[in-house]
Amino acid sequence: MGMIFRDSGIAGRTAIVTGGGRGIGREIVKVLAAEGADVTFFYLNNRGAAEALLAECGASGFNVTAQPVDVRNAEDCGRAVESVLGRTDRIDILVNNAGVLRDNLLPAFTEDEISDVLATNVLGVFHITGVVAPVMIRQRGGAIINISSVSGEKGGKGQTNYAASKGAINAFTRALAVELAPRKIRVNAVAPGLIDTDMSREVRELAGDQALDRILLGRYGTPAEVASVVCFLASRYGKYINGEIIHVDGGFKMA
Amino acid sequence: MNTDTIYPKVREIIADVLAFEESEIQRDGSLVDDYSAESIDFLDLVYQLEREFKIKVPRGMIEQEARRGLSEDFEEHGRLTDKGLEHLKTYLSEVPEDRFTPRMQVSLIPTLFTPETFCKIVLREMEGGEQAASD
Repeated sequence: MGMIFRDSGIAGRTAIVTGGGRGIGREIVKVLAAEGADVTFFYLNNRGAAEALLAECGASGFNVTAQPVDVRNAEDCGRAVESVLGRTDRIDILVNNAGVLRDNLLPAFTEDEISDVLATNVLGVFHITGVVAPVMIRQRGGAIINISSVSGEKGGKGQTNYAASKGAINAFTRALAVELAPRKIRVNAVAPGLIDTDMSREVRELAGDQALDRILLGRYGTPAEVASVVCFLASRYGKYINGEIIHVDGGFKMA
Repeated sequence: MNTDTIYPKVREIIADVLAFEESEIQRDGSLVDDYSAESIDFLDLVYQLEREFKIKVPRGMIEQEARRGLSEDFEEHGRLTDKGLEHLKTYLSEVPEDRFTPRMQVSLIPTLFTPETFCKIVLREMEGGEQAASD
C-alpha cells in the first residue's frame, strides 16, 4: 500500500482566504499556497502584515495575492470576488476566516461590541459566500471552509456575542452543505479551541492556568495546526466530508 | 434585437445547466416540470445568463414585475387572486394558458417559467430594463 498523503489535489486550484493577513488566516494562506494553490487573501486594514506575508510567500515562490476588503460591506465583497474572477476565472476553495472578538459581560456590552462581532463574523460570511457560491455552482464543484470556534458549542464567560456568531456559523455550515451538495460543493467548518494568536492573547492571559488545565493536551494550539485541518478539508483527502464541524482544540470541548 | 436572436444561446445554457441535449429543450417547455429544474438550477441559470450577456438580473425580479401595479391585490394568503392570475397571464404571456391554475400558490410561479421566459428577461435587461418582459 502506498502513502496516503502525497498529492493533495490542491495544486493549480484557486483559493480565497478572508482575514488572511494575520493569525490563523496567515497560516492557512501559507499552507494552501505551499500545496500549489493560487491564493488571494483579503485583509481589512493591516497593510503592513499583508505586505509581510506577501513578501514571505514571494520568497518561497508561492502564488499569493492580497486585497483589502471589508467583509461587512456586501458591495465591497462583490467587487473583490469579481476582481479575483477577472484574474483566475474560477474559485475552487473559499476559507471564511475573517473574525473579530469583543468580549464583555452581557449587561456591559455596548451596541458596537455586539454589532461589530455579528457584522464581521456572520454577515461577512454571508456576503462573501453569497457571491462565491454561484461561481462554484457554475463550476459544479468547490470547497467552502468556515472558521468557527469551540465557543460556538462550549459556553465561555464574556463571549455571548462571539459564541452566538460562531453558533450561527455552525448552523450556516450545515444548512449550506445541504443546499450546495447537488452541485458537488462541500461546506465544512473548523472550530479551533484556544490557539496561540494575537487575537486570543487577552482571553488566554485572563484565563491563565485555568484554561490550560481544561485543555486535555495541556497546551494551546498553533495556527499551523488549524491550517493543516483546513488544508485537509480542501484537499482530495477530505472529499467525502460534508456539513461537518471539526474541532481542533486539543480536547478543550470535552473537558 | 428580439428573443429569436437570443434563444440559441439561452437554450445552450439551459441545456448545460439542466444536463439535457439542446435538441431536447423546447422553447415553451416548463423548466420545472419538463426538465426537473430546482431552485439551485435557477440560480445557476441566472448567473450564467448574467455572465454570457453581461447583464444583471435583480433577484426576485420576475415575481416583483408580475406584481407591478397590483400591490396587495396580487395575492391572498399566499395564493393568487383572480386579478393576480390575469396579471400573471399577461406578464408571462409566453406560457401556455393551460398551465395556469386558479388560486395557484405564489410560491409555485417558478414552475411556469419556460426558456422563452428567460429570453425575455435577458432581452429586457440588455435593453436597459425598460422593455416590459411581456412584450
